[in-house]
Amino acid sequence: MIRLLLLAALGLTLALLWGVDPHAIDLGNRLAAPSVAHLLGTDHLGRDLATRLLWGALPSLMAIVLVLLGGLGLGVIAGGIISLGPAPLRDTTQWLAETALAVPTLVTALVLSALFGAGVFTVAAALVVTSWAPYALTIAALFDRIRGEPYWHATQALGVTLPSGVGRHLLPHAWPALGALAGADAGRAVILVASLGFIGLSADTGRPEWGAMIHEYRMFLFTEPRLVLAPILACTCVTVLLHGMLDRRKT
Amino acid sequence: MAASAHMLGRLTLSWLAVVAAAFLLLRLMPGDPVEVFLSHVNISAGPETVAAYRVQWGLDGSVAGQFLRWLGGFLTFDWGVSYQTGRPVATDFAARVPYSAAIGFGGMSLAVIAGYALGFLAAHHPDGVPDKLSRSLAVAGQALPAFAVGLILLWVLGVQLRWIDALGGGSVERILLPALLVAFFSIGSMSRLTRAGFLEVKSSPYFRTALAKGLSPLGALWHHGRVAGALTLIAGLAPELAWIVGGTAVAEIVFGVPGLSERVVQAVNHRDYAILQPYIALVAIWMAVALQGARLLRRVFDPRVA
Repeated sequence: MIRLLLLAALGLTLALLWGVDPHAIDLGNRLAAPSVAHLLGTDHLGRDLATRLLWGALPSLMAIVLVLLGGLGLGVIAGGIISLGPAPLRDTTQWLAETALAVPTLVTALVLSALFGAGVFTVAAALVVTSWAPYALTIAALFDRIRGEPYWHATQALGVTLPSGVGRHLLPHAWPALGALAGADAGRAVILVASLGFIGLSADTGRPEWGAMIHEYRMFLFTEPRLVLAPILACTCVTVLLHGMLDRRKT
Repeated sequence: MAASAHMLGRLTLSWLAVVAAAFLLLRLMPGDPVEVFLSHVNISAGPETVAAYRVQWGLDGSVAGQFLRWLGGFLTFDWGVSYQTGRPVATDFAARVPYSAAIGFGGMSLAVIAGYALGFLAAHHPDGVPDKLSRSLAVAGQALPAFAVGLILLWVLGVQLRWIDALGGGSVERILLPALLVAFFSIGSMSRLTRAGFLEVKSSPYFRTALAKGLSPLGALWHHGRVAGALTLIAGLAPELAWIVGGTAVAEIVFGVPGLSERVVQAVNHRDYAILQPYIALVAIWMAVALQGARLLRRVFDPRVA
């Protein structure tokens, strides 16, 4: 998480230091080849590709933060309910979680985009709706296992209250497994933001965003592949990095 | 017989719940579709025109009444007309569903078959070449964006090698490549699931007995493990089936296939709920049937599941 924030800060400072406006149109300099002034060249409107790539990271980073907060929070609460809650609530939550597992994320994002307009918040909401279930089920399974352990029985015998028991003895065991899931989800957030941008659903087509850039530059795939490959590479690097960073569990 | 009727009832109920929730959500949104449409086409219409559109699109009366009318229409394949184009939705979908179904089914079958085979080989020789391949495919399936892989595929095959006609073309470009793309992202995780099932068998006493009887390791693993491998694969199928739906949409758009997704994306941009509702209903049917099918398969293979 700290490294993520650092990465975000780094990206922003770089863009600011660059001092180049990602929207600055320079029609005399269209489709310029990479040079010192334009590290990755310019696009069909003469905008600097490198600056646009850097600014394009912003929606993805926002989505990651929102998804991790929302999905993890909901998942931990729901997992606690499934494992420790009263019977009717428990069964409903369990059913909801198992159903949510089967809900296609992209379709949810499409429907939410139709309702609320496309954007980072819509993507994040779609991901939260479909990503809390694995956290909940993992947590519930883990809690159930720990509640059979002697040290849990000991806490009960000693009269430790439920919240402090959960915080002290249950949750610390959950973080490694949750971290792995979170790594995958952070990657999925980046991919979904870019996918929606790519299929032509981004909040504002003018604002740099990797998927929207690929969508916009699609017609140059055959003549100027650089324009399409650069955002693809950026997006791929970030997801692979996220997996490596948060998922330390080796399969 | 009673059990299957009960199952069918439950399936129908959950399908109804999903569809009704989506319908309600779309109806409760601010922004009347009729007014959005009229402002879009720049017609200054009197109240009677608005009312006429309301009737035509089934937007008059109470929400419950609207839903029942829509449901009746959906079940009799009277899916209304698109707000945006005015053409009947059912005929529009009928031309598009075959593409989406071919890509989705094709991709899923490919992924199941290839994932199962790869998982078997990976379990036979842990850390061997198939195992490493399955592991990297699993990571790739999680970490790479599908549309990016599709675009690069298009670029390599269409521009660099000129094997395919990148801008349109026949069944190879429209069905085979998209199905391959969908499968590519599922093979890895399916092979990991299968591998886990086979490995469990490998550590059990009866497998050792089989080896002691003189069966070859590969033959013994196949003979005693094939059902266990299939079972873990089926048990973990739900998230994969959900991915197939989204993956099919991405693949269609990358390869320019005139399938459902292309239409749905247009509909999203125009808030064309007449297209979105049957789409949601169809996706919900597919998910319900696929998940129930997986559950039934499990019951067939595994006598322990009652």
